[in-house]
Amino acid sequence: MASSSIKPGILVSLQDLYPSSPFFKQGASLRVTGKLKIDTRHLRDLNLRIGSIYQFIGELLIQSNNEAILEARVGRNVDGMDLNLYYQSLQLLRQFQSNHTSDQAT
Amino acid sequence: MDPTYGTHVKLLAFDFLSLTQKSSSDPICFYRKGRPVSRAETVGVVVSRERKGDKFLKFLVDDGTGCIPCILWLNHLNSPYFSRCNPSDVRLMADMAAGFAEEIKLGALARVRGRITSYRGALQITVSDVFVERDPNAQISYWLDSIRLAVNCYNVLPSPNFLKHHHQQNHKR
Repeated sequence: MASSSIKPGILVSLQDLYPSSPFFKQGASLRVTGKLKIDTRHLRDLNLRIGSIYQFIGELLIQSNNEAILEARVGRNVDGMDLNLYYQSLQLLRQFQSNHTSDQAT
Repeated sequence: MDPTYGTHVKLLAFDFLSLTQKSSSDPICFYRKGRPVSRAETVGVVVSRERKGDKFLKFLVDDGTGCIPCILWLNHLNSPYFSRCNPSDVRLMADMAAGFAEEIKLGALARVRGRITSYRGALQITVSDVFVERDPNAQISYWLDSIRLAVNCYNVLPSPNFLKHHHQQNHKR
């Protein structure tokens, strides 16, 4: 198993996925929660129900019309997830990561 | 002895992957900002899984900040390492590990604990415990717990008095 070829699904919210954002890169590995076009053809054992929230990790494919599809590697049902808390935590995480990395550098 | 050495430190993957190792130490010891650590916990999505028969299960846990490689040994019954132990204990360990292996599925949110080890220069967790989280907020709680612990505990150097006191206590025994 070449673990180096599997990149972590970087946490992004859908607001981050506009064409000029740094996350909107071809092949970027992302974890997305929300509404986005997702290609789930490689997923097994996942029943997708209308009305439920799912979280997918996969690679962003940017098409010629600048539209993005996430080619999902894994997915899970996250009904009951506190979305407000989720988005707040993402911000906290990013801040923590940047503080930690700058500490390492000094 | 520094208390972080005896506990399963809850680290975010990017933090775990930047742990350092003292090259000449015996036994092998890992450090986080100068503090020794030996065991860790992670909570994340299983994004790859590779089983080598009855020997081991290698899998990768992605918590959104990085991927931690984990190894779950499955060879208790055949390994000379366990031949000195009570056979019923070995059987228990083997059954427990087999159970964990069944639960580690692609896409599952898993809480994994174990010893911090290194294989061919890469940091990993040698798994001792797995719990599959059904609570959809478990990942968020883990992020927040890890950040809180880092800020309030792991990042803070224990006071010299604390270390001195504990050193004396250990020597009295």
